[in-house]
Amino acid sequence: MAAPQGARYGKVARNEDILRVWGIIPQNLYLPFVPISPQRPASVWTPRNPIGTDRSMTNDLEALRREVRSFLAAEAPTDWRDASRTQDDFVRTQRDWFGKLVRAGYAIPHWPAEFPGGGRSLAEQKVIYEELAGADCPRLLLSFVSTYHAFATLHECGSAEQKARYLPKILEGETWCQGFSEPGAGSDLAAIKTRAERKGDVYVVNGQKVWSTMAQFADKCLLLARTSSDGVKQAGITYLLMDMKAPGVTVRPIHQIQGDEEFAEIFLDNVEIPVSERVGEEGKGWAVAQATLASERGLTLMELSYRMRGALGRVAKLIREHGHEDDRGVLRDFGVLVTQVDAVCAIADQFLDNRINGIERMGDASIVKNAYSRALRAYSALGLRLGGMDEQYVAPITFGDLNTGNWMADFMNSYAWTIAGGSEEVQRNIIAERMLDMPREPKGWVL
Amino acid sequence: MIALNELTDAAQKAFPASSLSPSRDESWGLAAEMGWLMVRLPEEDGGLGFRREASTALHLEMGRVLSAMPLIPAQLGLQAIAASEDFAEREDWLERLAGGEYAPMPMLGAKLTRASDGTVSGTISGVFEGDMAVAVVAQLPGGYALVPLDAPGVSLLERPIWDPSRRLFDVVLDGFTPALILTDAAGTKALHDRLSGEAQLALAADCIGAAGAALDMTIEYMKIRRQFDRPIALFQALKHRAADMKTRIVVAEALLWKRVRDESASVTELAAAKVLAAEAFRFVTEDMVQLHGGIGLTDEHPCHLFLKRALLNLQLCGNADLWNERIGRKALQA
Repeated sequence: MAAPQGARYGKVARNEDILRVWGIIPQNLYLPFVPISPQRPASVWTPRNPIGTDRSMTNDLEALRREVRSFLAAEAPTDWRDASRTQDDFVRTQRDWFGKLVRAGYAIPHWPAEFPGGGRSLAEQKVIYEELAGADCPRLLLSFVSTYHAFATLHECGSAEQKARYLPKILEGETWCQGFSEPGAGSDLAAIKTRAERKGDVYVVNGQKVWSTMAQFADKCLLLARTSSDGVKQAGITYLLMDMKAPGVTVRPIHQIQGDEEFAEIFLDNVEIPVSERVGEEGKGWAVAQATLASERGLTLMELSYRMRGALGRVAKLIREHGHEDDRGVLRDFGVLVTQVDAVCAIADQFLDNRINGIERMGDASIVKNAYSRALRAYSALGLRLGGMDEQYVAPITFGDLNTGNWMADFMNSYAWTIAGGSEEVQRNIIAERMLDMPREPKGWVL
Repeated sequence: MIALNELTDAAQKAFPASSLSPSRDESWGLAAEMGWLMVRLPEEDGGLGFRREASTALHLEMGRVLSAMPLIPAQLGLQAIAASEDFAEREDWLERLAGGEYAPMPMLGAKLTRASDGTVSGTISGVFEGDMAVAVVAQLPGGYALVPLDAPGVSLLERPIWDPSRRLFDVVLDGFTPALILTDAAGTKALHDRLSGEAQLALAADCIGAAGAALDMTIEYMKIRRQFDRPIALFQALKHRAADMKTRIVVAEALLWKRVRDESASVTELAAAKVLAAEAFRFVTEDMVQLHGGIGLTDEHPCHLFLKRALLNLQLCGNADLWNERIGRKALQA
């Protein structure tokens, strides 16, 4: 059923087509763009998921759901928010939970079947993430870059030796960070200036990386560096695997406005990286970076949307605490938010279903991201408003959660989603240019 | 059973996007011929027995062309009669309506009183294309009944509206004696909830279809219209607005389809889909006029048709304030 209907939507766009015109900030918030060009208008009836039509498949998925649910009922941590009040506690909680999920076989469903817990279809992955969100267990943040970005990079582009060396270690808890963005290369990622100079068997790297998620806890780094300034800016980029404990690497956590330190800067001062740690050929790192960026398939936003939906109860609690139960204005605003969040769940679901069926359209992922990030802002803004002056007194924050009920912290944290992973404005450009086929700005602007 | 895509394709072929607000009477004949009045009617009653997806797909397409024919109220009226198993003239009326006679459900409330002699007086509002109707399916003080427009004590009053793509009437009752009773008091709430939910989905689909057409038209114009030696579609400030419009439509449509397929969704949940779709439609058409500039203010350009339909749709079957409050109250109790 999926194939002939999918064909109606036209050809599949390639990631590199998109990345060529669009440099993104590849943080862990990133959503990939594999989609397709729309041949039909927006409001066309969307063909539906064959999951519902294949009984044996449905039964398998329901069996998996029961299995995950019973595991979570027994093992999901319930006290993780209290155990994540400091960064050290957060890291410990994350490592414990990741280890448990690895042993249970739910940490890396997207890996190949030769790894324990791997070989799951996207439909199965969706079931696992639905259950993880529904059980309100900690999101796997510390291991996110390792299990998605590092895995995809090594799996798609790494040498046999690199794969054998690094993939098993990820399951043992080795963590990775991304060294992509720089102070002068955010939305325009290909403008990176960090230099790698080949000297015998090593590259000597100098430069600065920024907005690297949890680099302060990372063992290894996926590093983009410039080996040549000739030709188009994408052409001189080389992809390296860097040991974070190598001499010359300095990590400085970034204190964010809500008190968290989710990101860090990385300073590179004559860091030597063996040539054997290069992924792909010299100067071909931009293509490898696409594998990194295409690693996440929309599960994160679906999971986060359902978590936000579950956290609507925090707003309801505020309404009751402040005696607004019969305030029609407040009820309306709450109603608007409820619908907005429900709609985000619906679009995140639809996006994944379309992926499962191979009928995504170009720009769909941008719509999901903007819809989620705006809903997250609206969610925290309503809580902040209803909380009133109480929220202006500093209260403890919870690491690793976006809907904590500390409304000031949540509100400020929501900016991470409108800025990182391709800013809201960059997503709008993609929607306008790629989905609506509006003209691109002329190249070669000089001011 | 035919696939929904085929239904959509057939609708697009019969009502091409190039022809906005096609003639009401010709459309009606075409729709009756293609069986669209009967899509939701069970097969044993001579219908096509399709589910909510099918009517949603059709209403999307009819929204896209700003259809002037009253397909939504007609389908609802037909469903009401089909659901009234105890109605003595049920088969008779189903046959008449299948043949193209029109007995709509009103899309607004009624203000009615019942006198001690059982007669009903007052106003039934929101009767679309009342001049075509032989009767309306109305919720009277005692329950649902068919009100024939040629019955004693029944008169029809056109209420001119801003939206030129449709015509709206009041049915005024003055000492009307209900004879064609559809439900007793007990069956009334069940039928009301069922029809009300259906109406929400249908209106939501109309909004999404029309909003999509409005956006397509706006983007086409932005690509053609040149100022400062370039198409205005090149300006990032305007592109971002187009992207936001697209986002609103796609997200509202996702919620619509989710609720269409959720047979257990409550009326309030179905209304949420309508409110979101109608607000998206309003958002798009407000900007449609602005982005068209001066031409958007002229009567000869179709911008205003979209804007006026959006603003009317917001008011039909409960406005945003009413439903948002209910949604909020329900979520508070959850």
